[in-house]
Amino acid sequence: MKHKNIITTVIFALMISAISALCLFKPHTIYSESERRFLAEKPVFSLDSVAAGEFMSEFEGYAADQFPARDKLRSLKAMFAEYILNKKDNNGLFTADGHISKIEYPANPHMTSHAKERFDYLYKTYMQDKNVNVYLSVVPDKNYFLAQKNGYPSINYEEFISSFKHEMDYMKYIDILPMLTLDDYYKTDSHWRQEKIQDIAWHIAESMGADAKSLYTVNTLDYPFEGVYMGQSALPSKPDTLKYLTNDILSECKVSYFDSGKAVTGDMYDMEKAYGKDPYEIFLSGTSALIEIDNPNAKTDKELVLFRDSFGSSLAPLLVPGYSKVTVVDIRYLQSSFLGNFIKFDNQDVLFLYSTTLLNNSMGMR
Amino acid sequence: MIFSSITFLYYFLPAVLVVYFISPKQLKNTVLLISSLIFYGWGEPKYVFLMIATVMLGYVFGLLIEHFKGKALSKLFLAVSVALSLAALAYFKYADFFIANFNSVTGLSIPLLRLALPIGISFYTFQILSYTVDVYRGTVTAQRNPVNLGAYIALFPQLIAGPIVRYSDIDRQLAARSHTFDKTAAGFRRLIIGLAKKVLIANTLGELCDTFTQSADLSVMYYWLYGASYMLQIYFDFSGYSDMAIGLGKIFGFKFMENFDYPFISRSISEFWRRWHISLGTWFRDYVYIPLGGNRVKRLRMLFNIFIVWFLTGFWHGAEWNFIIWGLYFGILLTIEKFFFTDILKKHKIFAHIYVIFFVFVSFMIFSAGNLAQAFDYLRGMFGMKDLPLLSAETVYNLKNYGFVLIIAAIGATPAVKFIRNRFYARIKNTLLPDVAEIIIFAVLLLIVTGYLADGSFNPFLYFRF
Repeated sequence: MKHKNIITTVIFALMISAISALCLFKPHTIYSESERRFLAEKPVFSLDSVAAGEFMSEFEGYAADQFPARDKLRSLKAMFAEYILNKKDNNGLFTADGHISKIEYPANPHMTSHAKERFDYLYKTYMQDKNVNVYLSVVPDKNYFLAQKNGYPSINYEEFISSFKHEMDYMKYIDILPMLTLDDYYKTDSHWRQEKIQDIAWHIAESMGADAKSLYTVNTLDYPFEGVYMGQSALPSKPDTLKYLTNDILSECKVSYFDSGKAVTGDMYDMEKAYGKDPYEIFLSGTSALIEIDNPNAKTDKELVLFRDSFGSSLAPLLVPGYSKVTVVDIRYLQSSFLGNFIKFDNQDVLFLYSTTLLNNSMGMR
Repeated sequence: MIFSSITFLYYFLPAVLVVYFISPKQLKNTVLLISSLIFYGWGEPKYVFLMIATVMLGYVFGLLIEHFKGKALSKLFLAVSVALSLAALAYFKYADFFIANFNSVTGLSIPLLRLALPIGISFYTFQILSYTVDVYRGTVTAQRNPVNLGAYIALFPQLIAGPIVRYSDIDRQLAARSHTFDKTAAGFRRLIIGLAKKVLIANTLGELCDTFTQSADLSVMYYWLYGASYMLQIYFDFSGYSDMAIGLGKIFGFKFMENFDYPFISRSISEFWRRWHISLGTWFRDYVYIPLGGNRVKRLRMLFNIFIVWFLTGFWHGAEWNFIIWGLYFGILLTIEKFFFTDILKKHKIFAHIYVIFFVFVSFMIFSAGNLAQAFDYLRGMFGMKDLPLLSAETVYNLKNYGFVLIIAAIGATPAVKFIRNRFYARIKNTLLPDVAEIIIFAVLLLIVTGYLADGSFNPFLYFRF
C-alpha cells in the first residue's frame, strides 16, 4: 500500500508537472487545421485587463486552445463520447452511412425571416419592375438524406423550402430536390461534389431558358480532401477525393474578383487554395464578395447574376457555358445596399441559390 | 477559477504545489492564503477586497468575542459580527429579490442593484458565522494569527462550493498538519474522481438539460427525461466538486468532512438529507435548529423550528421564490414523514425507495426552474397538463443520445461501483494487478477529462450561483 501511494503520488505529480511544462513552453499554434479556425492568442497582461476580468477570461480560452497535443486529446474525447458513453453525436457531429454530418436542428424562424427579408430587400431595390427574370433554388444540406433515416433530429425540409417558395412568390422556384442523392455530397464535408452535379446545373440553366450543357474533363486533386467535418468530429475517418471539371470554355473565361473594390483577374479554379486549409476553396477561390466571369465563347448574350453561398462556388462554373457573363455575388461579404455600385440589373437572369444550412443560419447575410 | 479547467489543473495547481511544498512549515498557510486570494480574484478581481475585509472582520470579532467572554459585550460583538456577515450576504445576494418583491407589492419601481454575486459568498459567510459562534460558545479559541484565519476562510479547495468546513474541524490542522504519500495519493485519486464525475457525467447531462430548455419540441416524456438528467447532473456536479475539494484538501494535508453519501439510495427524505449536502444540513442543525430548541420543545414550536430551518435552507440556495418553495416542500415532507410515515417506510423498503426518488425528483424540477412561474410550468409539463404529446422526435433522439450516460450516472450514484471494486480487489488480492490497473485507470481518466477541457466542451458549474 505504501509503495502504491508513493508511485501514485510520483506518477500524478510528474504527469501534471510535465503537462504544465508543455503548456508553458510549447510554441504557439496560430491556426487549427482540423477545426478550420484561428486559435486564441495569449492575452495581454495589464492592470486594466486584470481588473476588468478580461485577462482571465481570455486566458481560459488561450489555455484550452493552445493545449499541447490538443487534436489528439480532442480525438480521445470524441472516442470516449462515442464508444464509451454511446453518444449519438459529438458537439452536434455524427457519422452515419459513411458520412460525417452536423445536426441542423431546429429550424430557426429568426434566421429564415432574416434571409427572406434580405431577399425582399434585394428584389425591391434592384429587380422589381426591371427586365430581369428572378429564380430561387434551395440546396438541402446532406441531413436531408441522413438525419431522419438514422434517427437524428432534422428540420422539416419540405416545410422549410416551401416557406421560401411561397413567400418569395416573385421568384420562380427551381426544384432540385428530386435530382439529388447522398452520393452527391462529400463524405467528410458539408458541400456537394462538383463532378456529381452537372445534371443539376443543366436542369437549373434549362429552367432559366439557358443551355449550359457542355463536356468536361474530370480532374482529380492529388491531395487528400479532409472536409470541414472531418477535423471537427475528431474521429478517425478516411478523407475524400476532390474532383473538378474543366474544358476549353471554362479555361478561356475571364474571371475577375472584386474583393478589394478593383477587378483582379484570377482563375476559375484556384490551385493555390487546393493545397491550403480548405481545398473546397479551389472553386472560385472560396469566399469572395463579387466575381465576374466573362465567357468569350458563349453562343448567347444572356447574362446571369448568381446570389449564392459556398454551394454556388462549385456550381457556378457549370452554369457558365449557358451565359455570356455570370456575376457571382455573396451578400455575406458585400453589403446589399452597395450592390448597385457594381451591377446594373437589366436584361438578366437572376438566381438565388442557397443551402438550407445558410438559410437557417443567415445572420451573416448583409 | 474552477477546478475543472485547464487553467486550474495545469497552470495554477502545479505552481501552488511547487511553492507550497518547498516553503517552510511556518509559511505554508501564507502560501495557501495568497494562492487562495489569487484563485478567488481570478474570477472576481474586485471581490478580493471584500474577501480580505471579510477575513479581517472575522478575525477582529473573533478576538473581541473571546476577550469579553462571559460579559454582555461578547454577545454584542457576536450579534454585530453575525449581523455584518448576514448584511453582506443580503446585500450581494438578496437585495434585488427584496427590491423586486417590494416593488410588486407596493407598485413602486425602485431600480434593481444588479450586483454580480461574489462567488461562494453563501459558503464562506456560513464558515465565518460558525467560527464566531463557536468562539462565543467556547468550543474553539479565537485564532490569533490572521493568516491562519484567512487560510481557513479563503482556503481555495473549499472556497467557492464547500463543503462548509467548520473551523472547529480544522483549527488544529491549520496549526500543524502532516503531509504524507498516503494522503497525497488519496488526494490525487479523489481529485480525479471528482473531475471525472463533473466533466464526463455532469457536463454531458448538462448538455441534455440545456437542449431541453431551448427545445421547441417538448413532450411529457421530455420533462421526465429532463428531470432525471437534472437530478443526476446536480448530484454529479456538486458531489464531484466536493470530491475535488476533499482531494485537494488531502494533498495540502487537510481532512474535510464528507459532503455526500449516496443520497439516492435513501429510504426516507430525512435519510436523504443526512446524505445530501451534509455540511449544509449539519450546519443548519447545529446553528439554527438546535439553538431554536430543536425537537425538545412543544409540537407547535418544533413545527415552527422545522419551518424556519427549511425556509432558510431553500433561501440559502437562491434568491427566488422557487428555492423557498423547494425548501418548504422538504420541510412539509419531513414533517409528514416524521409524524405519519416512519413505520411504513421502515416496513416497505421498495416503496420507500420509490417514494424518495419520486419526491426528490419533483423537488429538483422546482429547483431547476429560473423562477416560481417556470417551476409550476415544469410541473404541469411533467404531469401532462400542458397539452403536449407523450413523446416527440427530439425526446426519442435525446433518450437514445443520453440514455447510456443516464444509466451510467444512475448506477454511479449508488455504491455499486464501490462494491464491484471491492469484490475485484478481494478476488485478486496479493497481486500487483489491481494497483497497476487503478493507476492506469486514473491516468487515463485524467487524460480524457483533459481532452474534454481542451475541446472547450460545455462546462458550467451549477453551485457557483449559491
